[in-house]
Amino acid sequence: MIIHLGRLKPNLRWLAISIVALGFSDYPSSLLFQSAQAEDAGNLYNTAVDIRMGNRYFERQCSRCHGFDAKGNDETGAPNLTGRLRRASSDAGIFNIIREGVPGTAMLPVAADVPDATVWQLVAYINSLRYDPLSVELAGDAETGNRLFNGKADCSGCHMVNGRGGRLGPDLSRIGENKTPEDLLLSLMDPDQEVAPRWWTVRAAGADGVIREGFRMNEDSFSLRIMDTDSNLWSFQKRELENYERLEKSTMPSYAETLSDGELDDLVAYLFSLRREVLPQ
Amino acid sequence: MKHATALLVSVFMAATAGAQEDQFSTVITPAFSPITWERLVDARNEPNNWLMYSGTLDSQRYSLLDSINTDNVGQLEMKWAYQIPVIDRAETVPLVVDGIMFITEAPSNVVAVDARTGREYWRYDHEMPDDLRICCGRNNRGVAILGETLFMSTLDAHLVAIDARTGNLLWDTEVAPHDSGYSKTAAPLIVKDKVVTGIAGGEFGIRGFIDAYDPATGEREWRTYVIPGPGEFGNDTWSDDSWKTGGAATWITGSYDADLNQIYWGTGNPGPDWNGDVRLGDNLYSDSVVALNGDSGEIVWHFQFTPHDVHDYDSIQVPILADIEFNGRQRQVMMWANRNGFYYTLDRSNGEFLIGKPYAAQTWAQGLDPVTGRPIRVPGMAPTYEGIMVSPPIVGATNWYSPGYSQDTGLFYVTSFDGEQEFFKRDEDYEEGERFTGGGGRYTSPMDAFHSSIRAINPETAEIEWEFPIMPRSSAGITTTAGGLVFTGSADGYFFALDASSGEELWNISLGRRVHAAPMTFAVDGEQFVTIASGNVVYTFGLRD
Repeated sequence: MIIHLGRLKPNLRWLAISIVALGFSDYPSSLLFQSAQAEDAGNLYNTAVDIRMGNRYFERQCSRCHGFDAKGNDETGAPNLTGRLRRASSDAGIFNIIREGVPGTAMLPVAADVPDATVWQLVAYINSLRYDPLSVELAGDAETGNRLFNGKADCSGCHMVNGRGGRLGPDLSRIGENKTPEDLLLSLMDPDQEVAPRWWTVRAAGADGVIREGFRMNEDSFSLRIMDTDSNLWSFQKRELENYERLEKSTMPSYAETLSDGELDDLVAYLFSLRREVLPQ
Repeated sequence: MKHATALLVSVFMAATAGAQEDQFSTVITPAFSPITWERLVDARNEPNNWLMYSGTLDSQRYSLLDSINTDNVGQLEMKWAYQIPVIDRAETVPLVVDGIMFITEAPSNVVAVDARTGREYWRYDHEMPDDLRICCGRNNRGVAILGETLFMSTLDAHLVAIDARTGNLLWDTEVAPHDSGYSKTAAPLIVKDKVVTGIAGGEFGIRGFIDAYDPATGEREWRTYVIPGPGEFGNDTWSDDSWKTGGAATWITGSYDADLNQIYWGTGNPGPDWNGDVRLGDNLYSDSVVALNGDSGEIVWHFQFTPHDVHDYDSIQVPILADIEFNGRQRQVMMWANRNGFYYTLDRSNGEFLIGKPYAAQTWAQGLDPVTGRPIRVPGMAPTYEGIMVSPPIVGATNWYSPGYSQDTGLFYVTSFDGEQEFFKRDEDYEEGERFTGGGGRYTSPMDAFHSSIRAINPETAEIEWEFPIMPRSSAGITTTAGGLVFTGSADGYFFALDASSGEELWNISLGRRVHAAPMTFAVDGEQFVTIASGNVVYTFGLRD
């Protein structure tokens, strides 16, 4: 599938979350007796029906902590399951976490009488929240995008990739793991659409009358910490400030007018390629 | 009887030994003396001790101690810390009895420590099955004490009695079968000669109840279901057989009025939480406060805050009782800031609605009927298959964490949250022991985008007198003192003190991890301390020496 990332219809453009249905009509009987501790034998419960069953189980049993959209919950500490998983890199790893829980956290094991088949269906559902990047073919050229990133678009002035670049925006070294090409294009065209609180701006007026402005690195009930545009780190007690204000906007410019459609496609292809594992060509 | 005799003998021996060994104790008072019902009724006048979950039977969480006050609270320093060995969140409110502190730990353990040093006397580790059915974490909020016995709810839905001097298990009673979805997290309440306790499991299609047990034997004295059975008043507020799996869990501690001889207890959401299609009707007595006769457990009156709830707005708040002047007349009131976003003042003698107003962001109701207090719903705010944005979110405008009241300011204090969430509905069949929620929710904005605060409400007008912003949402309880202070904590790991009159910040300390519990205060040898759990640590503060 070739996907062209033209502009103005972002919601309709990218439809590449493809789930490969392997189409097993009958499960091998050996699967019914899989050991509780899974090893990496792969997941054969991954038809569209299995994913749907896994989804239903997830909504009922898991969404209380992980959210109905599986995007996690800051309060419960339940992680976002729609991007890169921190504790599992394989189907067997996900299976084992569901089966055994994570000691020392609120992640409890599923009940012992839940059949392995159900757990595998849950694994299939969690996998379906991500996708195989190899199933996505983009119109842009990553190499060209890389040159744009470091050249004309000057993204590297603010963003780091693998230890090189600026500090005035998120580190993008692994951005391809958690963002879809559509997300990436939207961020380039309309950076204010979704700004993580870490990248909001705070303008704080001290009792000395000096106003300092910077990224809102952290704010709590009584204090806040910012980084100004010279990368200086400041920590304030709120009660010692004259006042402060919060701008929930991005400091990044929109590239909707400054780059062509083709250049945007190239940049998206480059950003999408940024991940820990290098994809096979 | 045999058991009671043994207790008497041990009391006598301990009293004798205590008198001889005072000089070796870090505690000046003799080893603690038995907690009689009379002492519990008069707990406010024994402010050196914290004798029950909410401090006193009226649950005001107001202490007469004033040596820490608005003038010197800035000089608080940490005196000791106790690290809970099981890593989980701590929702415990410790008790202090004559210099001994009883701390509960996740999942259902108790440790007794010297309240001056935090050093251990004994611990009780509850043996737990491995097939628990719990919705929201391995929590325990505290113990109750009567005589020399502690009473604790356990996650496997048992009630246990523990010898307060040794930690020995005296009896262990199954309240309900844990594998059917029942669990227990809240501290019991002593009422006269009974241990009164509720049940959790509102996300598993249980049928909620409130029980009373014999403290000596663990035998059940009465059970009052908060979902009426066939032939009982209110059963027809449940369509078909939905009453059997209607939830209405009673998972927080109630209050008691000795003069009226009434027990007051909040009830949780009807089940399934977010799909009301299968349980048409008001669903009594879910999302209500019920007043029970203190001897028989019979329901005397009820007030339902959220009829036919579809947003999980449990009325699991601790009822605060006070006698106040209301419209020029002295009234026996109950103050209640509900998870549904509304604050209520009720007449606790009969459940009459006196006043109620929103105290936090809410979009599901146009207001309350001025006579009955029944909410007037905004049409079309029930969860849908596609999702619909509603405020308050599932966690509520407030929740189980204790509010506070100060006799000096006449203000009611509550941790409040102005959030919103997308609510979804799903079709589910009940299966015993499985979750039965019928949907769920998701946030579409980061928590930092929402507003949270400590709000002080005037119970006569239901107006907010002041608010102190915190961030993000807090799940800490509140304690007030005669020193003019409001103590509470925050999700970002602060413990702090506000001026109870003005809301002005007077002191704070970063404890590093979420405060998920309510503070309590006590004194040893005339020196006042204040204790709070944060993360997995119980911290105790006092004035600089």
